[in-house]
Amino acid sequence: MRVGFLHSLIRKEEKLLLDALAKRSEVEVVMLDDRKMVFDLGSGPEVDVVLERCINHSRALHGLRLLENRRIRCVNSYEVANVCGDKLLTSLALEEAGVPQPEVRIAFTEASALVALDDIGYPAVLKPAVGSWGRLLSKVNDRDAAESILEHKTILGSYHHSIFYIQEYVEKHGRDIRSFVIGDECIAAIYRDSAHWITNTARGARASNCPVTPEVASISLAAARAVGGGILAVDLFETRRGLLVNEVNYTMEFRNSIDTTGVDIPGRMVAHLVESGP
Amino acid sequence: MAECPVCGAEIELTADVVVGELLECPDCGSELEVLEVDPPELGEAPETEEDWGQ
Repeated sequence: MRVGFLHSLIRKEEKLLLDALAKRSEVEVVMLDDRKMVFDLGSGPEVDVVLERCINHSRALHGLRLLENRRIRCVNSYEVANVCGDKLLTSLALEEAGVPQPEVRIAFTEASALVALDDIGYPAVLKPAVGSWGRLLSKVNDRDAAESILEHKTILGSYHHSIFYIQEYVEKHGRDIRSFVIGDECIAAIYRDSAHWITNTARGARASNCPVTPEVASISLAAARAVGGGILAVDLFETRRGLLVNEVNYTMEFRNSIDTTGVDIPGRMVAHLVESGP
Repeated sequence: MAECPVCGAEIELTADVVVGELLECPDCGSELEVLEVDPPELGEAPETEEDWGQ
């Protein structure tokens, strides 16, 4: 089986995946560096399947669409990347599937965003619809802060910031959960602890093992199915209403979760890729 | 051996190093990218872009 490895920089996750692929005698890896590739509409690389590991969302999205146009199976698919890469589309997919999530409002102007923030209540969280690693998230504590942040976004932000994605602020008591879904199984989960309200490990949160309870597995699988399925990381909030899905990630980062959980995450990812066929 | 483009330190690369791999210079701590494997060449890793990561 020829596995196309769509990538740019080789981070620790990509290195671990390449190591796992190298252990499979039936696999030949074809490196597809998104910084060097030139696509045309009539041809594609000679591979049976592509594992997407781009660091840029925009390159992943368009690369997957081009590869799928050549009838190459991609993990994850373009559609999954498109939904997960946009918080608004993710929220819609979760809502359509009846998966619980924090309350969300969407607005397109500064004035309507202020109305939405007043409605959802303070504090609230303002997020770019497309964004990652907890960047440019704002915890809006009151109306004065809302007016200031919205004005800054309107005047200084790129057009991406003209879609106001407003989420209910959920008191996490210092931690959230990230679960890992591969196909039809929730293989592992971690707690992410931080004194900061943003609990991304990219922002310094500490990872520890979280037991995969039936509740964690059930909502994680439901969220993964809602966005199209595949290899996904699901961020969960623990609340009095039960678990809520915050985000679903399609190029999951797992360097802090292998020793923590004792699960060979890259090995499981590669097994899923290879065993589900071209 | 490859040279750190920031501080000039000699850095030994592992046998399984690949192009595009990120490394940290043990001397100056700069984040580096493997540009070539044979002969080995290192460059400064690119700055984080707005749509990086998950």
